Amino acid sequence: MTPTERTAFTPMRVIRTLAALTAALTLAVAAAGCGDDETSGSTDTGAAASGEKTKVGFIYVGPKDDFGYNQAAFEGSEAAAAELGNIELLQAESVPEDAGVERVMERMISQGAKVLFPTSYGYLKYAEAVAAKHPDVVVVHQGGLESKPGAPNFGTYFGTVYEPVYLAGIAAGKATKTNKLGYIVAFPIPQTLANVNAFELGAKSVNPKATTTVVFTASWCDPGKQAQAATALISQKVDVLTQHQDCTKTIIETAERAGVSSVGYHYDASSLAPKGWLTGSEWNWGPMYTDIITTALEGKFEGSPYDGDYRVGLQTGDNPFVQSPFGPGVDDATKAEIETAKAKLADTGIFTGPLKDQSGKEVVPAGKTLTYDEVEQMNFLVEGVVGNIPK
Amino acid sequence: MTALRRLRPPDPAVLGRDLLRWGSAVVIGLAGFAFFVAAVGADPFEALSAMWRAAVVDPIGPGEVLVYAAPVILAALAVAIPARAGLWNLGGEGQITMGVVGATVASHMIPSSLDSWAALPLLAVGAAIAGAIWCGIAAVLRVSVNLNEAISSLLLSYVALRVLDYLVNGPWKDPGSLGIPQAEPLPASQQLPLLDWLPVFGGGRLHAGILVAVLALAVVLFASRRTVWGFRLRVVGGNPEAARRAGLPVKQLIITAMLAGGAIAGLAGFVQLTGVEGAAKGGIAGVYGFLGFLVSWLGRHDPVAILIGAVVVGGIAVGGDALQIDAGLPAASINILLALLLLAVLGRRGRARGAEG
Amino acid sequence: MIEAVLAGAVRGGSSILFAALGETVSERAGVINLSTEGSMLTGALAAYVVAVETGNAWLGALAGAAAGATLAALHGAMVVWRGANQLATGIVVLFLALGVTALLGRDYVGVGVEGFDRWAVPGLSDIPFVGTILFNQDPLTYLALIAAPLVWLLLYRTRPGLFVRAAGERGEVLFAAGHSPRLVRFGAVTFGGLLAGIGGAQLSTALALNWSENMVAGRGFVAVALVIFAGWNPLGALVGALFFGGVESLQLQLQAQGVSVPADLLNALPYLATLTVLVVLSRKRLHAAPEGLARVFEISR
Repeated sequence: MTPTERTAFTPMRVIRTLAALTAALTLAVAAAGCGDDETSGSTDTGAAASGEKTKVGFIYVGPKDDFGYNQAAFEGSEAAAAELGNIELLQAESVPEDAGVERVMERMISQGAKVLFPTSYGYLKYAEAVAAKHPDVVVVHQGGLESKPGAPNFGTYFGTVYEPVYLAGIAAGKATKTNKLGYIVAFPIPQTLANVNAFELGAKSVNPKATTTVVFTASWCDPGKQAQAATALISQKVDVLTQHQDCTKTIIETAERAGVSSVGYHYDASSLAPKGWLTGSEWNWGPMYTDIITTALEGKFEGSPYDGDYRVGLQTGDNPFVQSPFGPGVDDATKAEIETAKAKLADTGIFTGPLKDQSGKEVVPAGKTLTYDEVEQMNFLVEGVVGNIPK
Repeated sequence: MTALRRLRPPDPAVLGRDLLRWGSAVVIGLAGFAFFVAAVGADPFEALSAMWRAAVVDPIGPGEVLVYAAPVILAALAVAIPARAGLWNLGGEGQITMGVVGATVASHMIPSSLDSWAALPLLAVGAAIAGAIWCGIAAVLRVSVNLNEAISSLLLSYVALRVLDYLVNGPWKDPGSLGIPQAEPLPASQQLPLLDWLPVFGGGRLHAGILVAVLALAVVLFASRRTVWGFRLRVVGGNPEAARRAGLPVKQLIITAMLAGGAIAGLAGFVQLTGVEGAAKGGIAGVYGFLGFLVSWLGRHDPVAILIGAVVVGGIAVGGDALQIDAGLPAASINILLALLLLAVLGRRGRARGAEG
Repeated sequence: MIEAVLAGAVRGGSSILFAALGETVSERAGVINLSTEGSMLTGALAAYVVAVETGNAWLGALAGAAAGATLAALHGAMVVWRGANQLATGIVVLFLALGVTALLGRDYVGVGVEGFDRWAVPGLSDIPFVGTILFNQDPLTYLALIAAPLVWLLLYRTRPGLFVRAAGERGEVLFAAGHSPRLVRFGAVTFGGLLAGIGGAQLSTALALNWSENMVAGRGFVAVALVIFAGWNPLGALVGALFFGGVESLQLQLQAQGVSVPADLLNALPYLATLTVLVVLSRKRLHAAPEGLARVFEISR
């Protein structure tokens, strides 16, 4: 979706909504003043007839138009519905990662949902609990790992996000003149740590002097703080910035205005940084969602690859997390190097020993490659990363 | 004058008038919201009836309403007690968060083999102490350096959130959580039992936390209406200067009121931890503190009104799911509905009490 | 490093400064507005939308001011004429702002904006150290720095300022002189929202160049706290906002230098530091509180 499409007719819509709201507000406040009893109309309209479509529920932790993680998932759901045709989507956005999400899932099930996609990392244990209560509903969790394998109607899926991040790290390692890269991260969880490590390893593979400095903002989206974090890193001579945040625009814009390079995440933001954009990674969930829904509705979920922890990456197939287009700052030689690295990754993976953590301690011995599951429980930063994680 | 009226037992006529006032304000707020829904192109009756179905008709609806109401009741009581002494506790989120921390510390200190009847009260005590300490900081600052407790308790909330984040990302992180930042799950003996035997309400996740909330409510009702302490609090709240001249220990009363409020907020953390989440994690306090503040205010800090208000708020929250799922409205509609309802109530309340200068 | 921290303090503190100045005026008239956060939020969105649609960031800032003022006027009307409780109304109005901005802002997330660029003051920005900190900022930040003494002049050297202070201290005197204390209070609250709205505009169109739901993230509450810190003095608000911005900037800078303190605790630092300074200053500050406000705080029902 391009920005122009997104803004089409919106001023009119904003004005209309604003007018509606003003009217509603006036009514509420004024009516409170004159204070006559009013009775609302009867509210016993029956459930709307829903036709023959099968219902599929999607739950997002943030707004479904955040230009980031949640929007990517939302667009994936729409793509799947368009592809399959006979699907009705039940959507719930801005649902916090606490037990309240169980209530939302229960509501979707009582509305007839047959497949549920709780798409945020922190929904895991609630998704498992709901799946256990409703054996006839397929629940697939985005980004987690099954705590007790075996539930026939529950599974998890994700891409190997760190692979495109590693490749972007190569572009960053080549682009940097100061050998200092910056990574602005929300919270220190395994997913984010794996990305930081992959980025640094990618950069180091082409530029042994490259270091990555990480700053945690303690928020998935606080644009003001992101701007300040980016400026702090730039003042430390960092000249390539990347991020693991839900909203991504601020850091790209700040980098562009300061004349340093940027690497995107979640969404293709190359149009925001015509000069400094190197590359990035973004989601393409549609095909995987379509396949999961089809498998579930055909009654073939149990025993399918999705009935478990399904991960897909360069080693196993098509990663839903794909590389964004290159910007002008990436030369052909670097692009070729990235292609070579991609081929090599398909063979060996990224987190292959010997790997040392920040303190110089060997965390992955020579000859061993971390499995998908091990990567997703990562609790260290590799040598060359500057920053601090709680112990 | 208000203080004098408080001294009498609840008058059914007054209560009835309150209910009528609330009810008509709710109707007005809903009418405003219906108008708004229609204006953004959805069917208002479908939206409101979807809310009704989700919160009342759905087999798990009523139970879910009470699950939501329990922490709101406790958070509201945490505001109501200090309010009787004329104090503002705006730091509910922080005290609930510290309650979670306190209960988890207690859980670490006792053997996991301890039976429920002994373990759960100990966790509750841990939560109450931690909540009381966090609120007590604001109280001590109020009486020692005269720092406004509304502001200090609010700032302390931000600190508490980061403390819990640090603990669950670092020292307390469960190695078995597959990377998700949360503490180790509590043993089954330290989790509140489900009330699944209860008719109507027991269909879903309803746990004994609502009993904790109702018990706390009863204790507060008794303490504020039948004890010397409660009487003195009202005197201090009515006219601190007169109370001082009459020789009441005003500083002590202020501190005890805040400690009691903090302890009850801590219990809200205990209820969410042991009844809902089962393990300490960030963000567990949600916006229960702010909701509790509003409910307490709208109910004039009256325990019975708080009970009703909290159930209404719970109903809006549970029904609000249906606004999105059934009616396809954006998530923001719930905040708009809540605000319209409360504005209507506040406007009526203000007028009813007579606007002062 | 000190230079970078201080420059960050000014840049990050300016939205909070606007809001704190606005809240100072409001509280001087005897009305506390917890929905300062909401006014910043509506200001941030309105500024962003108008800047996107017109391509003119200044028009955006005007729209932000108008939006912030409108929301504050709602608070003012409820509190002044309907006699609704100040703190509770503030929180309800904030909920409304959260809902409305989330709804109206949907189509503007991720949309490109021209926004305010940094503008180096010719000559002055070349001064070593001070030039980087004070004279290489965005225009709204300059405006914030100028607004502090202007609001001071407004409050202490003009007739409207006198009315505002009189409304907060001795409403009956104002009434006896034939003026409406309610109207003055309503005006002060609205003006406060106007400034907070410009603060929101600085956040979205100058600092972050972005709109996202709930992007004010507590800055409005901090501004309310800083008013006490400032002893209800606009110049004190200047110091307070720079202090908070400075601690935030410092903790990010420390992280950028790889200091080994857990990031979660560093992120709590601005709030802890503000609280600590409040404690140190508090005893003498409360005497500066406007009478009307003291009544709000003393009698809570």
